[in-house]
Amino acid sequence: MSDTPPRPVPVDPRLLEILVCPLTRTALEYDRVHDELISRAAGLAFPIRDGIPIMLADEARRLDDA
Amino acid sequence: MEPMDTPFDRRAVRHHRDRAAATTADVADILRDAAERLLDRLDDTTRRFTRALDVGGRGIVAPRLRARGIETFATDLSPAMAARAGAPAIAADEEFLPFAPASFDLIVANLSLHWVNDLPGALIQLRLALRPDGLFLASLPALGTLAELRTALTDAEASLTGGAAPRVSPFPDLRDCAGLLQRAGFALPVADGEDITLAYANPFALLRDLRAAGETNAVALRDRRPPPRALFPVALASLPARDGRHPVTLRLAMLTGWSPAPSQKQPAQRGSGQISLTEIFGDGSPPISNK
Repeated sequence: MSDTPPRPVPVDPRLLEILVCPLTRTALEYDRVHDELISRAAGLAFPIRDGIPIMLADEARRLDDA
Repeated sequence: MEPMDTPFDRRAVRHHRDRAAATTADVADILRDAAERLLDRLDDTTRRFTRALDVGGRGIVAPRLRARGIETFATDLSPAMAARAGAPAIAADEEFLPFAPASFDLIVANLSLHWVNDLPGALIQLRLALRPDGLFLASLPALGTLAELRTALTDAEASLTGGAAPRVSPFPDLRDCAGLLQRAGFALPVADGEDITLAYANPFALLRDLRAAGETNAVALRDRRPPPRALFPVALASLPARDGRHPVTLRLAMLTGWSPAPSQKQPAQRGSGQISLTEIFGDGSPPISNK
């Protein structure tokens, strides 16, 4: 799951305006290469699948696994 | 985790909604009826809304908001169900919402918050995602919903096994709903009830519809063993019938609340009254009739 290739569906930039980390409520960074939303504070990368950010802690990648 | 703090099994809720993403169109009539009753509230206000969040609208609510010219984001615990609403959509847990403060001026949750463990917490998070003077609209199944089914299942199971497990979700009492909004910090909270009565010729169709909507049992303390083979046939046979059909009640609590703003009507300051209530109502002694 962690090696998902970049998706052809681009993320809607409006999503990046309104989303924060669901656990720490801090800002997210968009990783264009992996198509993930990174929460440094939580140490999690939330995947984006088919243009839909999956903001579920269960499905996020832990950053130290990278 | 203490089962009492988490009445619902959120993994089961997620699974039920994933599965139901393919079948929810089968129950679109019921969802549409509830959504339209809820969105009618938008016509009662002169406010114009510009950016909305649809929480768990199952592909029914977001298109209706967009048709009103409102930019709409949709969210669901199930990514497959979120996708039904069309882009932009987000998969998120209502108990851990990922929205920046003051992102929306309208939030609509149609029949989607009743499997949330911490409903007051979710309502607070939703309020914080609203701009000042933003509107929150929700429909929730309230106590009385599926009452016929609950009674039939409990009676049948008690007669078959001498005990009964929770098979229908515990729903909040309508009378508690406005208080729930108020405790979550909403201004001008209103909860009113609307009953939708469905009539089923074949009671098994009710179970099929509940499954199609992703509404099968996710109570954490549910009995996970297969139910006694006779349970559902006995229970469904005992559902009350009228003219050969089985009425099933959905008692919806329609909730309206506003994110507080200084422009809203406020209660007068305590002590600012000019007339003593004692002058109006007396001091508690028996009234004296005026001749």
